[in-house]
Amino acid sequence: MVCSTAFITLGRSQLRALGAGSLPIAVMPHPFGVRTRVQVRELAETLVDEIVRLATGGIDKTAQAVNAGSAKITTAAVLAMPNDLIAFNEECERRRWSDGLPLIPPTASRVEQMLTGAQRARHTLVARVAPGFGEATVERIAINAVMAGCRAEYLPVLMAAVEAVADPQFNIQGIQATTNSAAPWIIVNGALATQLGFNAGLNCLGQGTRANATLGRALRLVLQNIGGALPGEMDRATHGQPGKYSFCCAENEVASPWTPLHVERGFAHDENVVTVVGAAGTLNLNSHSKDAADLLRVIAASISYPTSNDVHFAGEPWLILSPEHADVFARGGYDKVTLKEAIWAQSKMPASSFARKDYDRAEHTRSSELGGFARDTLVPISPSPREIGIIVAGGPGTHSVYVPTFGQTRAVSRRIDS
Amino acid sequence: MSDTQMVLDPVAPAGVAGDSAAFRPLATLAGKVVGFIDNSKPNFSLLADDLGELLMAKYGVAKIVRHRKPTASVSASPQVFADIKQQCDLVITGSGD
Repeated sequence: MVCSTAFITLGRSQLRALGAGSLPIAVMPHPFGVRTRVQVRELAETLVDEIVRLATGGIDKTAQAVNAGSAKITTAAVLAMPNDLIAFNEECERRRWSDGLPLIPPTASRVEQMLTGAQRARHTLVARVAPGFGEATVERIAINAVMAGCRAEYLPVLMAAVEAVADPQFNIQGIQATTNSAAPWIIVNGALATQLGFNAGLNCLGQGTRANATLGRALRLVLQNIGGALPGEMDRATHGQPGKYSFCCAENEVASPWTPLHVERGFAHDENVVTVVGAAGTLNLNSHSKDAADLLRVIAASISYPTSNDVHFAGEPWLILSPEHADVFARGGYDKVTLKEAIWAQSKMPASSFARKDYDRAEHTRSSELGGFARDTLVPISPSPREIGIIVAGGPGTHSVYVPTFGQTRAVSRRIDS
Repeated sequence: MSDTQMVLDPVAPAGVAGDSAAFRPLATLAGKVVGFIDNSKPNFSLLADDLGELLMAKYGVAKIVRHRKPTASVSASPQVFADIKQQCDLVITGSGD
């Protein structure tokens, strides 16, 4: 933002009020509106260098000069822990740093090594993570990445995922604190996914691939250790789900007959992108059908049910189609858009299916959107077909995966800086 | 041999709700797309003309995108935001006079 000297305070407080307090301000002398054409040019010649300096990470003096009560970024404390790996992990368990599995000690040198993967300075704030609003600085994210067992080259992917979950549309505060079984599912797109070894094929949601396992795990550690959501305390999950250990895969762009997710969501083909989904779990959809219309019918019938948050809150449910199922649909003439339209139309649920108490809540939530609500209202799973997410992933096999969501959440995508 | 090792604390102290996301610096302006949202105050469009020219000539910016609000006190339209979001790596706007 460009401001004249008289307007710095206003500019800074406006940015802060809009939740954009860290946007840099380039300052010029006041007044500006009355300058001649020649004077404007002279100002521009000086200002352009300042704009570029700020845009490429230079320190914004106006942010320091107008210190309206925002705290300085905190740096990580240095702590003495047992040297022995087993004893170190006993201490981690006592401190509740872990997800329950062993951690790698985040020594200064390991964190330095991890930081070589970052494009941003160590003490840069990436996001504040709800519900504790702890500062996810590049440094703190790197510390948790070391503990999770990430490689340094995964750090930009992790940072993009942290930014993405902190976007208000994702609703990380709701997801962290809920009694529901919600966890971020990370989808990686672009050539970088393959280069870094993310699994998009056989067992892509399961164990065995370092990139998938440690990236998802690192995000969980960030949510717990920086976001402050400890199970049984701010994290009220009744059961949680296995995806809270790690839930991460790449899209199988090579095997997909359609547009990859990141292109669908407005990015260029050659960009690398992370998308996070507020996933409630996974459901195996096993069908040998080779007929598009029939396969469509059984998938639509499988995803809409009376205890679904998506149906209740007009959510954004997701499908992971196997390459074989995607091929059945493609041969049947479907692309992602027409498939979503057909699934949306065929997956509506009669309102009478809700339990009585849930019916009352759903009526409150959905009646104005639907223009009314009665026992025979056919309730769609999402506001429109556009809110059904589809990726192609997995290896050979006649299975797809339904990923219902927390309902009050929308997927968020971020470009990976690398 | 020491019984202890020094590690960095992975836990952040609780904070206050602040910005939803922080400003992401660019590594370079070369090859980037820069947008201007003109706040319709006097001289801004001339400034944007000059800055745009200088950003391209001196810093290798690939493309300049120009949008203008109808008045200073009204927000830019959703279409403007969508266009900016899709095309631009950096957006410059003005505040005040």
